[in-house]
Amino acid sequence: MWQPEGAHAELLRRSAEVDQIVITAFQQIRPPVTAVAVGGYGRRELFPYSDVDLLLLNAAPDETKEQRELISEFLRALWDAGLRVSQSVHTVEDCLELHQGNLELTISLLDHRFLAGDRARHGRLEAELPKFLHRERPTLMDQLCKMTRSRQSKFADTIYHLEPNVKEHPGALRDLHVIRWLATLRESPADYIPETAAELLYSIRIFLHRAMGRDANLLTFDLQEAISPEPAVWMREYYRSAREIWRAANQAMEASERRDLGLFSQFRDWRGRVSNSEFTVSRERVLLREPLELERDPEYPIRLMQFLARHNLRLARDTENRLMAALGGLWLNRQPSWPSLRALLALPHAAGALRVMHETGLLTRLIPEWTRIDCLVTRDFYHQYTVDEHTLVTLESLEELRDSKDPERQKLRTLLHETAAWETLRLALLLHDMGKGGGTGEHAAESVRHATIVMERLGVPPAERENVLFLIAHHLDLSGIMNSRDLNDPSTARYMAERIGTVERLRMLTLLTWADISAVNPAAMTPWRLEQLWLTYLTGYEEFTRELHTSRIREVCFTPEVSAFVEGFPTRYLNTHSEEDIRAHYILWNENRAAGMAIRIERSEGTWRMTVITSDRPFLLASLSGTLAAFGLNILKAEAFANSHGVILDTFAFADPHRTLELNASEVDRLRDTVRRAITGKVDVRKLLSGRRKAAIAGGAQIPASVAFNNEVSETCSLIEIVAVDRPGLLYDLTQVLSSAGLNIEVVLIDTEAHKAMDVFYVTHEGATVPLAMQPDIRRKLLEVCG
Amino acid sequence: MKKIEAVIQPHKLEDVKAALKAIGIDGMTITEVRGHGRQKGHKEIYRGMEYEVDLLPKMKIEMVVSTARSEEVVQTILTSARTGKIGDGKIFVYDVAEAIRIRNDERGEGAL
Repeated sequence: MWQPEGAHAELLRRSAEVDQIVITAFQQIRPPVTAVAVGGYGRRELFPYSDVDLLLLNAAPDETKEQRELISEFLRALWDAGLRVSQSVHTVEDCLELHQGNLELTISLLDHRFLAGDRARHGRLEAELPKFLHRERPTLMDQLCKMTRSRQSKFADTIYHLEPNVKEHPGALRDLHVIRWLATLRESPADYIPETAAELLYSIRIFLHRAMGRDANLLTFDLQEAISPEPAVWMREYYRSAREIWRAANQAMEASERRDLGLFSQFRDWRGRVSNSEFTVSRERVLLREPLELERDPEYPIRLMQFLARHNLRLARDTENRLMAALGGLWLNRQPSWPSLRALLALPHAAGALRVMHETGLLTRLIPEWTRIDCLVTRDFYHQYTVDEHTLVTLESLEELRDSKDPERQKLRTLLHETAAWETLRLALLLHDMGKGGGTGEHAAESVRHATIVMERLGVPPAERENVLFLIAHHLDLSGIMNSRDLNDPSTARYMAERIGTVERLRMLTLLTWADISAVNPAAMTPWRLEQLWLTYLTGYEEFTRELHTSRIREVCFTPEVSAFVEGFPTRYLNTHSEEDIRAHYILWNENRAAGMAIRIERSEGTWRMTVITSDRPFLLASLSGTLAAFGLNILKAEAFANSHGVILDTFAFADPHRTLELNASEVDRLRDTVRRAITGKVDVRKLLSGRRKAAIAGGAQIPASVAFNNEVSETCSLIEIVAVDRPGLLYDLTQVLSSAGLNIEVVLIDTEAHKAMDVFYVTHEGATVPLAMQPDIRRKLLEVCG
Repeated sequence: MKKIEAVIQPHKLEDVKAALKAIGIDGMTITEVRGHGRQKGHKEIYRGMEYEVDLLPKMKIEMVVSTARSEEVVQTILTSARTGKIGDGKIFVYDVAEAIRIRNDERGEGAL
């Protein structure tokens, strides 16, 4: 039976019992040494089957044969009494020296206690030891920290093992001892010792020893079941204690480690230069300049996390303590705003910051639902971590993929570089397993339920919320498809297209699936699974590209008027636009019918949008993109579709890097007017652009331009995929080449990520695919304008 | 005793396992493998870049059964793994000299 209470008293009782045995044997045999209890026995923490650490102090190193006989007899008596004695014989002088490779001896002396023999000899040790420790403490602390870190890394540096070793693992008893030893060595007895957590570990280890009848320290699934009828629930208590010890141990080590004077420390000092008016960086750790801001400004902790996520840093011990002390009063009246949280999620090292938020309790403060999966155990054969740890590892996997040089992963890394929405992916990963711990089995649906509540509270705008919920709801789809569907069967591709809707979502889902599988255990993402996942992605991707041209909207349940408008647009139009968008477009269409064209320019969430509806004509797309470039605007995304009435719908999302439109309301009107004149051919776009032709390419972006023709996707239409370094006016130049070659642009998808433009054009030549003979010339011209 | 080794399409694994279970065979070793035979690899084009897919993901199932049952097992795998297309995979049958249970040194078919 596991006894949660009275563990420490039990250890004291056992130590006293052993004291009695040792002293009695000593008095009977009278060996020529002084018996001193050291190590665990010395600090009166003797577990039922632990070794009994004895230091035998002799007067001089070379005993006579008779003296040695007496010592042996004494030890035999202890063994016969059932004790497992682990003894060492030294002189006092011996103990006051550093022994290379025997740090354990010195460390064990930190807990020495007189048992029997010559009190004066022990008195000498007692008097001299503090001086010796004081003299050697930098070396001792350094070596102790090194030894501890090496032990922790042997166990993957995580406390979240499903079958933990309560003595050796990170966050277990050994770490607790390290905290105490370092406090003694640093001569600062006021250091924090997590006593409650310690008591729990004591009680578990006593139970393990009794249950196994030996010095057993592995808390196996079987023994977890023997402790509690609900082992998964009970284990959370273990992890919380382990976490507390782990953090305290790391803080103690951080405070004790010696400053290096080498190159690395110079680099670390250099990192100090990233310090700003709010935060100081010292030795890779962040300190607060204005700690009181923690209580005043709800955005302050988030800015602190952003700082970590931007520079890949950790918190200093003092910062961590202050943050944890402030937690209770944090965000009582006002939550941090979504834009600042989104900014945090979009930063390059967000995973590390989220881990810090998890460790300090900030994450639970922000998302109380996180407690559902905090330290939650998944008891199966392949999961190696608790659910919270798994979630954090998914986030880290994604960053690891980004930084990986592994050629096997190159393909998936391409997807990552094509995805602009890191914050969407990260938020989806953070919430994807929130429904676990409900016990219903259908955790994806349950996660969606919790995520909806969380995102509503955080103020996530509906469009982003919808994307995140989609990813969570479908997070098991791809692994299901790759394991149980024939990828060569066309119905699989159609099934995927229907379920997933757009290629952008497929891309994010593929990355999410990769991260999710990679975080099950370190060996789960095998090259085999990677290949399967990639083939699954390709199957879906090809279907989406094919259907972009071939699958047109035929029947939809709108009013007859709206139906007439959307008829003949690619099905993508329905998948990427909300009903509200469609209604707005319909109104524009009516405007177009009256005036020959309709233009809407608006701003939402930092990005400008222009929607143009008019009848198709040559060079139209070139004129529109050229006009935008001439205004110094930077096109981020564009789509051009035509419906069955020869009406085209062009949408552009663009950035306004010089804030021209934002600061001058009249410029919006001038832009609208110029677009109108460009469409009707009253203004020469080439002339407009001539003042702007300086290519403003940011340095360092090395992307080889590629142009690929594909006549396979459809019988009437050719696909041209272009990847190039983005620059102002690129789209204008590309469309200019296509139109000059007499090609008609049917569908366009333009996407940019950082400095990379990824453009897909569906073109026809006299109503059919582009003849092979024409292709080399067009490709050459396109490559020329790509630079 | 015969050792039966079948390389099949990944998506057929569940069907094959279920079919084998139905005739009372539930001990088997399953490995995720990659390889190519006549199906060869193929080229995939993604955004203008060519990717050689020369090793296709497959599943390998291995089991040892009594000689008397081996034909039945082969037939069961054949029917449950077949889609009729190139790439359905192959089955190999080997003679097994001895089977020994490590726990108690039991030998022969009793150890299966």
